[in-house]
Amino acid sequence: MPASEPPSKRRRVHDQSLNSTPRDSSSEEAVPGSPPETTRLTDQNISIRRGPPSSPLLSENKHQSPNPNPGDHRRRYRSSESTSRSRSRSQSSARSRSRSILRSRSRSAPYSHSRSRSGSRSRSASHPRSRSPDLSSSTTPHPTSHAEPDHHHHHRRGKLPLLPNYRSHLLLQGHTAAISQVRISPDGRWIASASADGTAKIWDASTGVHLETLVGHMAGVSCLAWAPDSDTLATGSDDKAIRLWDRVTGSPAHDVAHRDNSSEGMGSVVMKGVAMRAAARRARIGVPGEGVRGGRTGRGPLLGHHNYVYSLAFSPKGNILVSGSYDEAVFLWDVRAGRLMRSLPAHSDPVSGVGFCRDGTLVVSCSTDGLIRVWDTSTGQCLRTLVHEDNPAVANVCFSPNGRFVLAFSLDSSIRLWDYVSGSVKKTYQGHTNKGFSIGGCFGLLTDEDDGMREELPDEEIGSRQRPFIASASEEGDIVMWDVKSKEVIQRIKGVHQGVCFCVDIHGTTMVSAGQDGLIKLFKHRPRNDHPKREDSEANAMGDTDARLGDAPDPTTADEELQRQVEAEAESPGQRVKEEQV
Amino acid sequence: MNLLLSDDYLLQDYPENITNTIRSGHSTCVRFNRRGDFLASGRVDGTVVIWDLETMGVARKLRGHSKNITSLSWSRCGRYLLSACQGWKAILWDLQDGKRLREVRFRAPVYGAELHPWNHLEFAAALFEDQPMLIDIADPADVRYILPSVQKRPNTETDANLREKQAKEDAKHMTTAIVYTATGDHLLAGTTKGRLNILDARTREIIYSEKIASGIITTLRLTESGKELLVNAQDRIIRTFIVPNLSAVDLDPDTIQIPLEHKFQDVVNRLSWNHVAFSSTGEYVAASTYNNHELYIWERGHGSLVRMLEGPKEEQGVIEWHPHRALLAACGLETGRINIWSVTSPQRWSALAPDFVEVEENVEYIEKEDEFDIHPHEEIQKRRLDQEDEDVDVLTVADGGGLGSDVGAFRMPILFNLGESDSEEEFVNVGLGTLRRKSPGDQDEGDMTGEEKGLGKKTSGAGRGRGRRK
Repeated sequence: MPASEPPSKRRRVHDQSLNSTPRDSSSEEAVPGSPPETTRLTDQNISIRRGPPSSPLLSENKHQSPNPNPGDHRRRYRSSESTSRSRSRSQSSARSRSRSILRSRSRSAPYSHSRSRSGSRSRSASHPRSRSPDLSSSTTPHPTSHAEPDHHHHHRRGKLPLLPNYRSHLLLQGHTAAISQVRISPDGRWIASASADGTAKIWDASTGVHLETLVGHMAGVSCLAWAPDSDTLATGSDDKAIRLWDRVTGSPAHDVAHRDNSSEGMGSVVMKGVAMRAAARRARIGVPGEGVRGGRTGRGPLLGHHNYVYSLAFSPKGNILVSGSYDEAVFLWDVRAGRLMRSLPAHSDPVSGVGFCRDGTLVVSCSTDGLIRVWDTSTGQCLRTLVHEDNPAVANVCFSPNGRFVLAFSLDSSIRLWDYVSGSVKKTYQGHTNKGFSIGGCFGLLTDEDDGMREELPDEEIGSRQRPFIASASEEGDIVMWDVKSKEVIQRIKGVHQGVCFCVDIHGTTMVSAGQDGLIKLFKHRPRNDHPKREDSEANAMGDTDARLGDAPDPTTADEELQRQVEAEAESPGQRVKEEQV
Repeated sequence: MNLLLSDDYLLQDYPENITNTIRSGHSTCVRFNRRGDFLASGRVDGTVVIWDLETMGVARKLRGHSKNITSLSWSRCGRYLLSACQGWKAILWDLQDGKRLREVRFRAPVYGAELHPWNHLEFAAALFEDQPMLIDIADPADVRYILPSVQKRPNTETDANLREKQAKEDAKHMTTAIVYTATGDHLLAGTTKGRLNILDARTREIIYSEKIASGIITTLRLTESGKELLVNAQDRIIRTFIVPNLSAVDLDPDTIQIPLEHKFQDVVNRLSWNHVAFSSTGEYVAASTYNNHELYIWERGHGSLVRMLEGPKEEQGVIEWHPHRALLAACGLETGRINIWSVTSPQRWSALAPDFVEVEENVEYIEKEDEFDIHPHEEIQKRRLDQEDEDVDVLTVADGGGLGSDVGAFRMPILFNLGESDSEEEFVNVGLGTLRRKSPGDQDEGDMTGEEKGLGKKTSGAGRGRGRRK
């Protein structure tokens, strides 16, 4: 059963999504003023800093045949079907290098559903402007529209309900391989993406302009995290290293320190030694401005993990970085010195997700061994272990905004909200597909202000209504959003990515997603009362998400309506963007 | 948030053993900030180092003094730090950018300078062989007020000789320690003659004075609430006093009473005390001993000795108790290391395996009626999902301690250019593969290294030998 498999990593790249997608340039106008990225994907020049173009990371034929022999997977990873929990540790070494680069060490063979889906995708992808026919044909009602909306709750004080209504806004192109993670900076101004092509990129969240390409990792980048000040970015890679980057300069953060110190004329002998080694290493790997692990202090990359670094999170103060790795340990790093502070013997399987709670005193980690552990940051002790009866592999984890709950994404296509104090599941969110990849999601929050209610409300009520929701990617390439309390799906955006959608992140009214197709999509929440017709909220022709909240509409129809809308937008992204920029 | 999960309240609330030793140069004084996440340490070479207690790493280094740092004082918000040194100056640092906000020069070495608890642009300083000062640095040009050390005598004395004699005596009467009360309206000052003065910070007059000790008062400390006063004097006795509410509207200076609560001393060994500190709540009193390795901890309720902390075989100087944890930091006099005592809670093994429970003794297991009933998987699943009808609130922050929740509080920037992590600075790389243990004097100014040994004692036992130092 795939549920008990470790996550097959987000990076299983299906070829057709990348190279056989002839995007016509009209849709590329969506990104204004970003020269290389807006052009066709095939002739991309991702970075001036990039190493030799013959880099193995880019060799496209790897993408072309991601899974030549599915049986091979089975043999390799599923030798012990029943006791899959006690997997052999040697699996990682068994992986060939090229595979690890592509992060395609999926253990679960693609299950039949997704395969058929991606098949249909590839077919439709072969003709331009493909998405709409493909999507409109998929009218099957999705499984979760079962819960009836709570009318009273939504129509409190007779106002329009706060519902997420994210519409596609920009398309960011540039990565040459699947994107494993994308995150919006805490100040909401930047977007960072980590990709299997070995680079991370920084984008402007409002314009979508590509700002920096961070080159330095020797293998695919699996994870990234923003420091709370939005000035530092941490990336973790399959080369076992974690790198810290200065957002402004795009260069390694600790390398800056190195230069400062030498100019300060600090230690003579020691510094010379470091500088020499740094130079030697630079020459060796051909990366300019490369830091090096300076003995005790660890400049340059943070080295210490014995296997792929798979998840990262910063503490709320930004002084501690927590990392989870395929070596089954969780490390806590002193960010300033780049020093390993504490290593937690956390799990018996790859650590697939880590997170910090809002006051920084707790760390949560999850693993494909099915356990979620809560740790005390200061003592390094395990305070709680959460495990579901069915013991599904957990692929991602995060704390709720108030730090009282833990949201766990598990590979039985469920997202569970745990109360870690009582150790019980409070909510289970279903309706997306997540069986083989470690996909990510987050909490979102909308307030009246976001919803354009400012004019309508007396000042003291601004921001009084808040609606938290949960967003997750789905393996069919969708984005699904749930209401936290009622567990009902409140928005579903279909076919956002071709292949798997790996990661969704939300900052207020901005949502960003990334997927296997190497694309990043930016969404903006559009208040529903933007539409003049929507003022009288009763059934009208527009019929978007709210239609469901009217007098008991058929949820299926509502979803289709919503979908049609999304498609409509997808058909003319260029226009939409222009419109919004006015 | 971790308090929700831990049963640390069962643990004792005073430190037990050394948990960390950190070192950056030769530290002579330390001070926690109000939130307790940073520790400032002042070094012999005049550098001030800010430690992050979460990582036990250096967060900032402030260079501006060139002589031994004698005192440190944090502002309430944690953004500003006042450091005073033997080099006749005090610097107010802005930790946002690490620059000096103000520098104030004196005409004597500074014993100690303390910031006003609410206004970081005002501080009081006790000076060596000079009268204490109140300095207002709100304006670009600082305003200095000289504070008295001796109460004004009623001008009844007619004998000119006697008056002259008194004046001479008064001129020798110095203030050695000065602190603000919790409100900042008053100052408490200890003098060379063992007197405790209460000054009104506005009128800058002594409103109360009493001889409380027979020796020089070296340290004055208040609890967070400002209701208890801890006094260390050279007569080998540590005293605690109850401070009345000096900010009461109907305060009559003539009726002020500072009742003595406890006297702590070691009558057997006749120990004298280097430095003293209150615990976070004032429940305990800790002291470092002169010419001895141990730290003593007394309980204030009963006035009994509860613990003698063993540490490295080294005399400890300045000690500080963490503002809300059972954690003590002390500076070793010989090595200049900062030793940290704390409690280590044992790992609860049941936390690692949720299906196990730790029991004291055997429990007879009683099987539940339906415990081994077999239900179809779907049914269980459905039942489970149906049970999830609870209301969950993922937004509201239920904060118990109030710590870490203050929005908009100062956040120390994360620096990457701190150079070598100082906690392991003890070894120097002298050649390929050869390490040499760093001697404590290495980072000092050339002229400081010689007096290394005596220096530690001087800084800790504040008054002792001060007269001879210069």
